[in-house]
Formats: sequence, structure tokens, C-alpha cells
Amino acid sequence: MLLIEADGKALFAEQGIPVPAGVVVTDAVPALPGDGPWMVKAQVPVGGRGKAGGIRRCDTRAAVEAAVAAMIGTRLKGHGIDACLIEAAAAGQERYLAVMVDPASYGLRVIYAKQGGVKIEQAGAVVGRLCAPHPGAVAEALADLIADEPDAWRDRVAAIGKALATMLLDRELALAEINPLFVSEAGCVAGDAKVVIDLNAIPRQPRIAAILAARPELYLDANRKLAEGFDYVELDPEGEIGLVTTGAGLSMMLIDELTARGAKPLNFCDIRTSLMRGSPARLIRVLEWITERPSLKAVLVNIFAGITDLGEFAGLLAAAIQASPSLRVPVVARLVGRNADEARRILGEAQPGMLVTADLEEALARIDAIVGSTS
Amino acid sequence: MIGSLSRTTPVIVQGITGRMGRSHAVLMRAYGTNIVGGTSTRADTKDVAGVPVFASCADAVLATGAVASVAMAPPEETWGAVQEALAAGIKLIVTVAEGVPMHDAIRIGRAVRRAGAIWVGASTPGVAVPGECKLGFLPDVCLNPGPLGIMSKSGTLSYEVGYRLARDGLGQSIWVGVGGDPVKGVRFADLLPVFFDDPGTKGIILVGEVGGTEEEECAAAYARLGARKPLFALIAGREAKEGVSMGHAGALVHGEFGTIESKTKQLTAAGARVFTSIESLIGQCGRIYRFDKR
Repeated sequence: MLLIEADGKALFAEQGIPVPAGVVVTDAVPALPGDGPWMVKAQVPVGGRGKAGGIRRCDTRAAVEAAVAAMIGTRLKGHGIDACLIEAAAAGQERYLAVMVDPASYGLRVIYAKQGGVKIEQAGAVVGRLCAPHPGAVAEALADLIADEPDAWRDRVAAIGKALATMLLDRELALAEINPLFVSEAGCVAGDAKVVIDLNAIPRQPRIAAILAARPELYLDANRKLAEGFDYVELDPEGEIGLVTTGAGLSMMLIDELTARGAKPLNFCDIRTSLMRGSPARLIRVLEWITERPSLKAVLVNIFAGITDLGEFAGLLAAAIQASPSLRVPVVARLVGRNADEARRILGEAQPGMLVTADLEEALARIDAIVGSTS
Repeated sequence: MIGSLSRTTPVIVQGITGRMGRSHAVLMRAYGTNIVGGTSTRADTKDVAGVPVFASCADAVLATGAVASVAMAPPEETWGAVQEALAAGIKLIVTVAEGVPMHDAIRIGRAVRRAGAIWVGASTPGVAVPGECKLGFLPDVCLNPGPLGIMSKSGTLSYEVGYRLARDGLGQSIWVGVGGDPVKGVRFADLLPVFFDDPGTKGIILVGEVGGTEEEECAAAYARLGARKPLFALIAGREAKEGVSMGHAGALVHGEFGTIESKTKQLTAAGARVFTSIESLIGQCGRIYRFDKR
């Protein structure tokens, strides 16, 4: 999961990697670092912000205030902008430096390019050096890549690379990237920070856990996953189809197929029926989140139960529906697996009129009909 | 090793006295898997449903000759379980835990490679040769012997594919869940030679997801190896939100990398067919393999 730039830079600073003086704002603009110019950058966890209009260079305080006012409250590449980072604009030549986990080699990949900035993303697959997961190996690989850089900053880049590798290994990151890294005789400074964390390592990474906890709204999906033990991601706050589904891959595919049919899924969900342990609490939570959105027109439940007893699940679903007075739209359930007949009987008694089927295509057709008749 | 799995392959279950270990040991054995033993730290349990329980993998291997293991360990204990299995000489390790830390997976991958073993995981529903055996918890309702090799990042989406194949009288030769983790054991590309060399496999189904470069690697390997059998791909996550993991840590799109466009383009260029819906994939398989139905 990608951290916002401000949090990535906080980690950089703790590791001794120079970053520009900056301040995070959510509404009013406080005293600014330095005399300008400044960079105003939308703090959303997504790449390509510059091209999407989320980064602006401003020469005056008035321009900074205007840029902040124009960005906050809008959306950028699917993410709401709640905060901006304002920084003293850095200067120098632009470089690209990254250390990342290389899954195929069970090692790290070190990339250094003389062309930094947005151009690197268009350059396609960038190669680098593969090395063992140790700071020393990264330093060695990087030394090769920067061999022809001038003396004035070569050692500084090497030190930043080693700090980046140490940070990646100590914090169990997937990626630590600086693009651009500004280099000049006056010094080197990280113009941006792209840090991808491993949510599975959170239980033993208190510093990363604290970063997520400090921004409950911005890292809503991650905090939800950590607190609830399952995945729920809101895709479209104006979505029409709420999903109560199991399995990441099948849930993603359902979202794709619904979208291709012209429906508007509200959320992604992998509810993990095997961990419900006889309580409808998890289902009630999901129905609560889904029904918060006034655009909701239908709820699609899709459970492929390899192991789970669907009779038990049906009882929990019926109880959850009963306990969710805010649920006022039709529910369609597609249930396959162990004890599906019993599940159909239970839901048929508890929720007469609700479609319960083993056929996903039939369930999707019903969703089409519901959405079509209300729009 | 994966290609030669059968009902005679001796398999142990690490963590057999736990809730998961116990129930899945019974289910695997009921399917036909030769479960010869299990391990547990609980000294008071001598057997689980008739399966002998040992204090360590080394003891279990010594007593039973097991060559494969299914590790039913929680995510933070998976690295330890793999070390124990490797030290005992296990050659195929299936780990099922969801949420193994990525840097543990790197350690596991390096140790498995050093030992010359095969690892399926970190998080996988398992491996199966339908009609013979299953290692893990692939649902029986999806398993049906047939001509198609399946490899999948997603458990549930592959269940859906397997279920509809079985519904239509089609089935699978070898089924491997590679899992949705970014760092993992066997990858799509590693499995192409297995499917190519298996006489029972006539076509290959790849169930992929956005994120990572595994589908692209597989496309390159498929072309390099001469596209010896048809490859059908279904890739989930067209509508995934950039920068956010969709359930699987591996399903994360950054900029141009890991997108469905990149995967579709490279698989298609290598000669694979890429489908955008489950039903279109199943329909095509039905047309091509209608004489291979059982």
C-alpha cells in the first residue's frame, strides 16, 4: 500500500535522507517555509499526480493559497484530496533512485537513472541491478550505477541509496523511490517520496502502524482492514450496487463484469466467511457502510463456499438484514457450495421475495433489472 | 514434483492439531490424498482421526517417508514452518496462511531455492490433481478430472472457473493456486513447463489479477517455450483503484506497471487468448474441448 508523500518523507527524514522544508495543510495556509517559490502537492496515495494536475509550482503566497483552495475537496485519480503538502521548491538536476523488492529473484532491485521527473514513467520498463536483500549489496550495486556521476555529489547519492535500502529492510517495505532526486553541488534532496508498505508486516512495525493510525480518514481502507480483519474498499461513493462478497479475485472480477454491464459497483469486499465464527457482526458492519451511501440501489451477496456451511451463513445473513434498518433496497444472493439448499430454505422463510440462486448470471440479470427499473 | 503428484505421494500436515489442520487433514484424506502424518507442538496428541502425530517434521519424515507437506501455520509462523520442513528434507511445501509478511516470503523463497525444493504459497488454496489428490483446501465441488491445467492467483475466482468447467462436464488435469502475494513460491511462468510436459493437459487456463508482472513474465516464457499448448487467460481487476491493494497485497497498480492493459497486450502478443468475463472463457473452453468431456 502506497503512503502519501508527506509520510514517506517523514520516514526519509528519520533515515537521514534530506527532504525540502514543508508543511501539510488541510485548510488555512500557515507561515510558509522560506521565501518561495513553493510546490503545492495534493496528498493522495497515487502516482502520476503531476500529470493529473495535483502538483503546482507557485511564486507567491497568494498563488499558494489559491492552489490549496483549488485542490482541497476535489478528487484526483479516484482519491479525495483532504490535504496538501507545501514545500520550498528544490533545485538541481533531476535523477531517479529507487530500491524495491524484486519478487522473482527474492532480492532487491536498485534503479538509478539520469533522467528523473515524470519522463521516467513514460520510459517503460526501467532496468537496474538485482542484489541480495542487504544494505551492503545495495550499496555495491548502486556504486556501479553512479560510477560516472561527478565527485561533487556521487558520495551523497551513495549515502542516500544506502539509507533507502536500510529503511526498506528495517521497515519491511516493498518500494522506496525518490523521483525526482535533486542533485547539485549544494547538496542532494528528495523532491518526492513514493513508499509502498506491507500491511502484513504491520503487527511488527509499530512506526508504520502509527503512521496509518495518525490518518484514519486518509488511510481508511487500510485502517479498516487492520481493525476488522477483512477487506472493504469503497470504489465509488456514488455507486449503486453494494457488494457482500468473498474472495479478492472473484470480487474484483464481479466488479469488472458489473461495470462492463453498465452497473456502478459501490465497493470491493472480501468478507472471509470462515472467520465470522457464528456472529453476524461482520455482515452488519458491511451493510452499515454500504447503506450510508444514498445512491445505493441493490445489494449483491456472492458467496462461493468451499468450506463454509451455507446454512449457517444464511442464518447470519438473515440476522444481519433484520438488524440493519437502514437497508431499504433489494438484496440478491448467489450462494454456491456446502448446504446451499438449506441456505435457500432459511432465506426463503426469513426474506420472502429475495432471489437466492446458485447461478451468478441469473443474479447479475436480476441486478440489471433492479438498477434499470429505478434509474 | 507437481506434475508427478498422485494418490500415492506421501504427504504430512504441519500443525495438524489446530482447527484448520485437523479439519483439512480429514478432508484431504477423504479426497484421496495419502496423508501419512502430521506435526504438532502438543505432546499429548498421538493421532488425529487415525493420522499419526509427530513432534517435528524430521520425526515425521523419518517415520513415514513423506516428501510433501501442507503447512497449516499462521502467517507469522509460516517462515519457521518452512525452515523445519526444509531441514527435514521435504521437497514440496504448500503454505496456506493469508498475510505472510513480504520480507518473510523473501527469506522463504531464498531458503527453498537453496534447498532445491518447491514452494507453493505464501497464501494458496493449494494444489490438486483431480481424481488423485489435493494438497490444501480446493473445494471438491470444483474438482473434476479433465484436460485443462489451471494456475491462479485467486482462490475464489479459480473456484468459480473450476465449478463452471465441472458443471459443463469439463475438468482439470493439474490445478495450482499460486496465490495473490507479491512474493511467492512457484509463479505462472514456472508452471508452463509442468503443463507442457503433462500428457493429460491439453490446454492451460491462467487466472490472473492486476498488479505485479507475473502475467507479463508468463507471456514472455510462453512465447519463448514455443506456445506448445493453448493458453486462455482471465484477468481480474480492470476497475481496481490505483494505489490501493484490492484484498491481495499483490493486486496493486502503480502508474503503468501491473495494469490489465499491459498484461492483456503481452499475453495476446505471445499467442494467448485473454477473456474479459468468466462465461466467455468457459464458453470457449467448452467449444474447444467438447470431445474431452467426461
